[in-house]
Amino acid sequence: MTKDLIKQAENIVRQAEKLGAQGVHAMIHRSRESTLEWRDGKLDRLRESTSMGLTVSLHVDGRYSSNSTSDLRPPAVERFLEETVAMTKVLAEDPHRVLPHPSRYENRYQGDMKIFDPSAPVGLDPDQRKTLVKSIEEAARSSQHADKIISVTCECSDSDSESALVVSNGMQGTSRSTHFVIGAQTSVKDKGDRKPEGYSYAVTHMKDRLPSADVIGSDATRRALSDMGAKPIKSGRYACIIENRLIRRILGGLFYPLSGGMIQQKRSFMADKLGKQVTSPLLSIIDDPHQPEGLGSRTFDDEGMSTQKMPILENGVLKNFYLNTYYASKLEMEPTTGSESNLSFAAGNRNLEKLLQKMDTGILVTGFSGGNSNSATGDFSIGISGQWVENGRIKHPVSEMNLAGNHLAFWNQVVELGNDIYPYSSWLTPSIRLENVQFSGK
Amino acid sequence: MYKGMNRRDFLKVIGSGTAVISMPGALSGCMSRRTVLAGGPTGNGGYFDQFGLSPELIRKILSKGLSRGGDFSEVFAQNWVNHWVGMEDEQINRAYTNIDLGVGIRVLKGDATGYAYSEDLSEKALLAAADTAAAVADNPSDLQPKSFSPSTTPNRYHLEVPWLNVEIERKLPIIDRANQAVRARDASIIKVTVNLSDDTNRILVANSEGLWIEDDQPMGLLMVMCVASKNGKTEVGYQSRSSRDGIDFFTDEAIDEVACQAADYATMLFDAVEAPIGEMPVVLAPGVTGILLHEAMGHGFEADFNRKGTSIYADRIGERIAPEFVTVLDDGTNLRLRGSLNIDDEGTIAKRTVLVENGILRSYMHDRISARHYQTESTGSGRRQSFRFPPVPRMRNTYMLNGPHKPEEIIRSVKKGLYAEVFSNGQVDIGAGDFTFFLKHGRLIENGKLTAVVKDANLIGSGPKVLENIHMVADDMEMFSGGGMCGKDGQAVPVGFGLPTTKVGAISIGGRSS
Repeated sequence: MTKDLIKQAENIVRQAEKLGAQGVHAMIHRSRESTLEWRDGKLDRLRESTSMGLTVSLHVDGRYSSNSTSDLRPPAVERFLEETVAMTKVLAEDPHRVLPHPSRYENRYQGDMKIFDPSAPVGLDPDQRKTLVKSIEEAARSSQHADKIISVTCECSDSDSESALVVSNGMQGTSRSTHFVIGAQTSVKDKGDRKPEGYSYAVTHMKDRLPSADVIGSDATRRALSDMGAKPIKSGRYACIIENRLIRRILGGLFYPLSGGMIQQKRSFMADKLGKQVTSPLLSIIDDPHQPEGLGSRTFDDEGMSTQKMPILENGVLKNFYLNTYYASKLEMEPTTGSESNLSFAAGNRNLEKLLQKMDTGILVTGFSGGNSNSATGDFSIGISGQWVENGRIKHPVSEMNLAGNHLAFWNQVVELGNDIYPYSSWLTPSIRLENVQFSGK
Repeated sequence: MYKGMNRRDFLKVIGSGTAVISMPGALSGCMSRRTVLAGGPTGNGGYFDQFGLSPELIRKILSKGLSRGGDFSEVFAQNWVNHWVGMEDEQINRAYTNIDLGVGIRVLKGDATGYAYSEDLSEKALLAAADTAAAVADNPSDLQPKSFSPSTTPNRYHLEVPWLNVEIERKLPIIDRANQAVRARDASIIKVTVNLSDDTNRILVANSEGLWIEDDQPMGLLMVMCVASKNGKTEVGYQSRSSRDGIDFFTDEAIDEVACQAADYATMLFDAVEAPIGEMPVVLAPGVTGILLHEAMGHGFEADFNRKGTSIYADRIGERIAPEFVTVLDDGTNLRLRGSLNIDDEGTIAKRTVLVENGILRSYMHDRISARHYQTESTGSGRRQSFRFPPVPRMRNTYMLNGPHKPEEIIRSVKKGLYAEVFSNGQVDIGAGDFTFFLKHGRLIENGKLTAVVKDANLIGSGPKVLENIHMVADDMEMFSGGGMCGKDGQAVPVGFGLPTTKVGAISIGGRSS
């Protein structure tokens, strides 16, 4: 299957070289996707696609451009390459823009990462899919507070994506993965016009690893109901627990400044932190590209470099940056990889319920809204919703509040990691308990 | 890959450095001396004939779409070329091109949608896609599409010189000038990034009711980002300028203004103090603060959420939701604005929609499906990111009309509060009504006067409560002139927004000081 893509990518490389490119990086992708959305007892949207596209990066006389097209008719591709090669020549030379050293293509991982499920062809069996979304809705509506429900939307989606990469200095690689998604969103009637929503979803590479329809449906409704009557509490410094599935959103503010571009462009507050203690020693995070069933698993990165395990934080000490070939050259460092794969956390020993007991009093953060993080200073501020907790028990929902801090201080306030690793993201995050966090409300 | 079912819709200002970077197209741009796979006349001149999309073929596709009992079928063809040229470290050394060509086929059966798309424009592939979309219905049918009656519309963004005829050599001086202007502005500037992006987006909408209409939607976007460093402090500033216009839009004056603002937005932060914590009155400066309208009400007025009963504004048409002096429009008809449209992505002629008139909720924003549900006309709000997506109700240019007050009078009226000048992004929970916007910088108001600069704080409030609590509106309405992108349903579209100086009773501010 994917072999024909390699042939096409090889042809593109040859064509571009003939037109005058000295270095060529050609990626062709093809995917099939099928999505069924079901709302309040009937079909809402059915979506199907077979998609294909080409991205080609050109190195011409020391100059660089990157170009993509979905028009793969041969004469169109020929013209596309002619014109993009010609135009690249007009740009300024850039001595840092080189292809990866060929040694970086060696020792590619040979194991089975279990990211492709051959047993579940995409888009087949519409009846089975209808049965699935119906049962998710049934679970969402089986709550004892079903009378509060305004609307339930359920979804199931399958996709099969393959890609081939050919780099002109000796790299060829293919990748194929399947994704299976189920999800639900429940909307409930609160006081006044307020209509809180709860959502729950799961995405996996292997179909039989999806949770049951019951779990997803009832979780969406539980989340919507638990937000009823939410209001802000007084501003103050509180202990808090941030739910596992939200950690990525806030930890991103610490991770994005680790990229070479941010560092070289002086926009990173992490630039001078390599080898230094930046967070609580409880945080040990490894970039783990070969994790079985990992949603970020890959044997080669965007540039074609073979992937390997890389510690990012080791007991709170920063061990590595994300450096692609270009920015590594500008920074006079060795390239690592330009983007993250899976982030695997050294988890704690206790589940969320036990974390709540340990916290005793504080806020369980279950939702984020808006917010941003200043990559140059590490200051961040973000809207939250969640639950007020007393004596380790959930008392009432809170909303319309913000959480703010500076990443360098904030991650030092971590006092415990849960054992509840969130499996439906390439960032395999546990819930995290912190102390003395600034919240603003009333 | 998976966008998630979280319906919290967001808006961001291009360059704002949020975790999710989204640019129009696939961050691409490059260069076509001649025309890269796009040419031919504008209007209804059969632009897509060159790709084999003849009226005969499209009729066949529409017919196939109806073959299983659907009551409406539609073909959306698109050829979108984006060019992007960038400078970093004083060299214009990168360029990107993205070419999108494809067809989306939609079949409706009542409220339900069948959707399929294909980049392969062969008859076989397109008919297969139509058959897939048709599966939304399951009864045999012999309903046939009506014959086409091509329509035209006034052009709000005609270009004398289309972007595809602009050689890259003509773009370079714009980037050079912006870079020099930033660096000349202040000695503390250490890094400058400048990007110039242009789009040529050709669309065709044809449907089983006989509609056949084409549009040529241009967009120019100049982005400037800089880093300033002084006394051990580092700050980032950015500004953009965007319009459905051609290269002549980027006059020396416009370039200098964008560049100087980017520089000033960075250097002014050296003296910033921590933003306050908790609820206080907020005065919104004119312009980019229009994000308030987009988040606090705009998404809540999109009819899909109301049709499903999930919006906090469901069933409130005709009710008072804001004071008398508040009138809010969502408008596709403005000349060359970023959210302007000749037609929406369902082929409906663009309109100007009064959402709130003198404080009364007058209209939602409708696409075809919601208009049929509410037995009204579409407001021309059916938009999509590309042929890969079915359309949903979206905003265009959203703004508030001038009110009775003066800006100085408004600031004077606040004893202790926040003057919010520049926002970078926002988000809303449609059902709960909670919305946020992120303050890049503003000033404290103390005893009626603007004092210290503050920065980097999230603001959060309840949409309906904030609308009720609009205390004053000035007479200085200004549209944001930069690039705004709105995300919803996993789709990003360009939007415009604007606001006069406006005072809101109380919003919670997420600062760090105690």
